[in-house]
Amino acid sequence: MNRGLILISIAFANALRGIRSASTTSSLAVLTIAIVLVLVGSASLLVENMAGLLDEFGAELQLTAYLEPSMTEEELHLLAESVAAAPGVDHVDIVTRAEALARFEKIAGGSELLAGLDENPLPASLEIHLRPEARTAEALEILRSSLDGLPGIEELAQGQEWIEGYSRVVALARSGAFAISIVLGMAALLIVANTIRLAVYARRDELEILALVGASRTFVRVPFVLEGTIQGLLGGLLALCVIYGAYVLFLPQISFGLELVLGQAELRFFTTSEAIRLVASGGGLGLLGSITALVGGRT
Amino acid sequence: MRRRAGNAIGEPPVRMYHVSKSYMAGQYALHDVSFEVRRGEFLFLTGASGAGKTTLLELVFAAEEPSEGQILVLGRNVARLGAGAIPALRRRVGVVFQDFKLLEDRTVEENVRLALDVVGTPRRDARARVFGLLKSVGLQHRRFHHPLSLSGGEQQRVALARALVNEPEILLADEPTGNLDPELTIEIMDLIVKASTRGTTVIVATHDHSLIERYGKRVLRLEEGRIVEDIPAASGSIGASG
Repeated sequence: MNRGLILISIAFANALRGIRSASTTSSLAVLTIAIVLVLVGSASLLVENMAGLLDEFGAELQLTAYLEPSMTEEELHLLAESVAAAPGVDHVDIVTRAEALARFEKIAGGSELLAGLDENPLPASLEIHLRPEARTAEALEILRSSLDGLPGIEELAQGQEWIEGYSRVVALARSGAFAISIVLGMAALLIVANTIRLAVYARRDELEILALVGASRTFVRVPFVLEGTIQGLLGGLLALCVIYGAYVLFLPQISFGLELVLGQAELRFFTTSEAIRLVASGGGLGLLGSITALVGGRT
Repeated sequence: MRRRAGNAIGEPPVRMYHVSKSYMAGQYALHDVSFEVRRGEFLFLTGASGAGKTTLLELVFAAEEPSEGQILVLGRNVARLGAGAIPALRRRVGVVFQDFKLLEDRTVEENVRLALDVVGTPRRDARARVFGLLKSVGLQHRRFHHPLSLSGGEQQRVALARALVNEPEILLADEPTGNLDPELTIEIMDLIVKASTRGTTVIVATHDHSLIERYGKRVLRLEEGRIVEDIPAASGSIGASG
């Protein structure tokens, strides 16, 4: 084994020995990181689920242009072409007056409601489907103003207006979750840093002897950095298990209510890469915490 | 003994020129101290408590910097050593203390191996070297014991083995027998003298005059931080090499 690998294996052995010898303070650090990551992880899982719903409903977001009854079929097709060329429009479906009537009869369960009328009162319309990037308040406004000037359009109606508000809530929740993550992350970082400082203090005799026998600063410091990183990774793993446990335990209980509000939408758990990111962020917190403790320290 | 880069053959491994050490303005722990120690020489530092013996040893292994003067250890100027160069110097200097400074949660073998771990010695080589050294101090059968289960003399032998395991060019001992009874004192001193006969330069700080008389080595006597006497080794001294 070359010298570098030997030194790394010694550093790992020393880090594990440090965790074992200060098991109470180490457990406290693991637990703190776990609590922070449970809070941050749950919040981010919730936000991601909300964002997922937004994407799902956003795909159905469309504008409907109700047309003047006097329009001929040729004018209708010409108008549809112009609308399809407008900014943010993905494609346009034409709904003729006859098709609108057929839909109405299907929804109403028969033609009795309109039976007393001499002619079909429903106007033809254009269903304007939007590109994903145009599903924002600003893009919708631009599209509306460009369609306003076109002849033949009597009224523009926006379906599912709640999506706009929902999208604002998701953006707000995302910013809130980010801000909370920063605050909690800083708190965890300071706790890990203090745990490492305590470990350094508890092992001052060992550090004095290591200095006497010619240990380099790196040899002395690396085990503490590894110790913090291992504690962080363990905290991350614990947080992942807790969130998964809560997900499995509580999902069946809230899924009925969820279906009532959101239809068939289902809350998802972390993907593999998200789960790895959660655990790794624990390791990162531990790493940063231990570096914070050692920078400017007397080790 | 291995020779490493740093000082030329024949050059004294320890040289002090007008060295003073002051912790408070106007109060000196060491004052205008100049001396040299030859390769393989054995030197007793003696004097009352507070005379400056420990400060002098600390300056040699770069635990302290001189306030004035120059110290050359193995060809390196201690006052100008950067923090990164100090560990490399200390690997060439073994140190033994009165209070042993052993790690209680590690076995005898692990304590001695510490000095080899810091330089990344392969585990198998390290074990072999530790075993050989423990055998030379008569403790090979105690290598898996913890320090607290050993007697004071045995603990000091472990500390000595740790100081010698890297084959240092200089061995410093600060009151190494201060906590031991007379029989164990001779046992430890004999081991230290044996190290010097193999070419290691040895400096032992002690206030035990019976030891100084018994071994007849060179003596530097300190009083209030100054060298007041430099007595050369008696011819035919025990383990004579210096």
